Amino acid sequence: MAEQKPSLLKDLPLIQRYGLAIVSVALALGSALPLERYDFRGVEFPLFLFAIALTVWYAGPGPGILAVVLSSLCFNFYFTEPLHSFYVSRSEIPYYIVFVLFGALLAWFSAVRRSVERQLLQSRNELQKEVAERTQQASLLNLTHDTIFVRDMRDVITYWNRGAQELYGWAAEEAIGKHSHQLLQTAFPIPIDEVQAELLRTDRWEGELQKTKADGSRVAVASRWSLRRDDQGRAAAILETNNDISDRKRREEEIRQLNDELGKRTTDLEASNKELEAFAYSVSHDLRAPVRHMAGYTELLQKHASSILDEKSNRYILTILESAKRMGTLIDDLLAFSRIGRVEARSTTVSLDQLVKEVLGEVQPEIDGRNIAWKIGALPDLYGDRSMLRLALVNFISNAVKFTRTRPQAVIEVGCLEKNKDGAVVFIKDNGVGFDMKYANKLFGVFQRLHPTEAFEGTGIGLATVQRIIHRHGGRVWAEGLEDRGATFFFSIPGHRR
Amino acid sequence: MDMLGRILMVEDDPRDVELTLTALGEYNLTNEVVVTRDGKEALDYLYCRGNFTGRTSENPAVLLLDLKLPKVDGLEVLQQIKSDEKLKMIPVVVLTSSREERDMVASYKLGVNAYVVKPVDFHEFVNAIKELGVFWAIINEPPPGSVRKK
Repeated sequence: MAEQKPSLLKDLPLIQRYGLAIVSVALALGSALPLERYDFRGVEFPLFLFAIALTVWYAGPGPGILAVVLSSLCFNFYFTEPLHSFYVSRSEIPYYIVFVLFGALLAWFSAVRRSVERQLLQSRNELQKEVAERTQQASLLNLTHDTIFVRDMRDVITYWNRGAQELYGWAAEEAIGKHSHQLLQTAFPIPIDEVQAELLRTDRWEGELQKTKADGSRVAVASRWSLRRDDQGRAAAILETNNDISDRKRREEEIRQLNDELGKRTTDLEASNKELEAFAYSVSHDLRAPVRHMAGYTELLQKHASSILDEKSNRYILTILESAKRMGTLIDDLLAFSRIGRVEARSTTVSLDQLVKEVLGEVQPEIDGRNIAWKIGALPDLYGDRSMLRLALVNFISNAVKFTRTRPQAVIEVGCLEKNKDGAVVFIKDNGVGFDMKYANKLFGVFQRLHPTEAFEGTGIGLATVQRIIHRHGGRVWAEGLEDRGATFFFSIPGHRR
Repeated sequence: MDMLGRILMVEDDPRDVELTLTALGEYNLTNEVVVTRDGKEALDYLYCRGNFTGRTSENPAVLLLDLKLPKVDGLEVLQQIKSDEKLKMIPVVVLTSSREERDMVASYKLGVNAYVVKPVDFHEFVNAIKELGVFWAIINEPPPGSVRKK
């Protein structure tokens, strides 16, 4: 459809355009001469004018001038006295001038009209092109799943893409022409005046809106508005794109609820932790005192009355004293155990080498008079709470010392295995009484003991404390043993030398 | 009550008082001890007010302070003493059942001179009290303004 009537001027080569001038004048002459024969007078004048007009129309002003000149000459030669001569009598000069002027005028009119028509054609073609382009763009907008619609400055919908139809359930023909905020019952988070003001100031706005679908259900959308201005810069239309964020909103709400719940649980936990702490504090202060008094007064009784008491009574007194002492140790151990969970770990780099030396100093009273061969290997630096790790080591080493008591030559080894994915693995190995691997799972439980109290004293809290310490450091603790063949305890603390 | 004690003991539990005095008795230090039963009474003694209005104004050579006390607790007494120009020089020994770290840290922050956990074992308890009594009341040279040995 475009360029349906191409300009002859442009299509014809120069020679043909001038040829057209010659041919059309020749045709006019060829028609006029026979007609004159049959006494049709005065026909030649309009015929030549026709030829000139035709030439100008199809071949432009240049060939038109040629046609005028040729027509004048032919007219002079064939149709004015004296015939067949180019002589022009004085009286005929005005006649020629009128002819030439008339021809020129005709040519000029024709040229002007021609150029007007060409401009018209050109603008029509351009218009058609633009329409085609816009149609294509609109159909592209239709392809997207995003919701896009356009409204004018009175909020009347002028364009409605397929995505909008899919989201809101209104077809384009239902939506176009409607007031958009009324159709969709838009709920704004802030006053609409502020939205409009921002849109006019910055040419855009974005925010979250609540809208209503055709089926009446509400939908949360992330909305972006872009303002289109006309050539004069006046606000002309608003393009709005919407994305359905209902799912996201729902998930956000879920997360918020979960967080609230978590917060509540944390508060509960903190509260029960506080209670536990208060309990432990009270135990620490109030439970030890009566035990101390029991021990103290029994001792005083022993002092005052041992001479008048029989052997049995004295043994009872001793038992009370031992039990009171044991109770004191139990309370202390339990408090130490509960403290692991209550106090905040203060992590630093801890030299295990240094720590082992300290611990050996601490357990010195237990070592005195014993024959123990110590094998201390190269030990790594650990990252953790120094006092907790120290407590763990004290337990490991005093256990090793305790359970090798029956050996004439005790061998206790502290060393470090190769690093693996858990970090360094430290082990404490002894050649003591060991244990049956059947009961290995009971080793680290509170109050779990694998040996009778008469043989090896203890509260059964030490290894439970150790496990708690190692677990608090994110590490693992385990043991290998054979009855009467010794035991090896292993622990790993991740992230050493961090 | 002896108004001129070199040892001021603040202890609410009568059994602990008796046991402590028994322990000190072995070194004939019992007569040097003034016992107060709560924090308020201890402060009354130190400031010579209430029941102690008439006493001479010398400071004790050492203060044995329990932490869990009725009315005014041990840490409050300690804070009061260490923030008073006239009292801050008195050596204060916390003598308590508790091994709780926060008590220990709080006491040392307030400037306590020693922190002793009462041992459950009576022998250890007696030894600890004796050593405390002997060290602070006899060996240690108390700051000026304290009750001197008679």
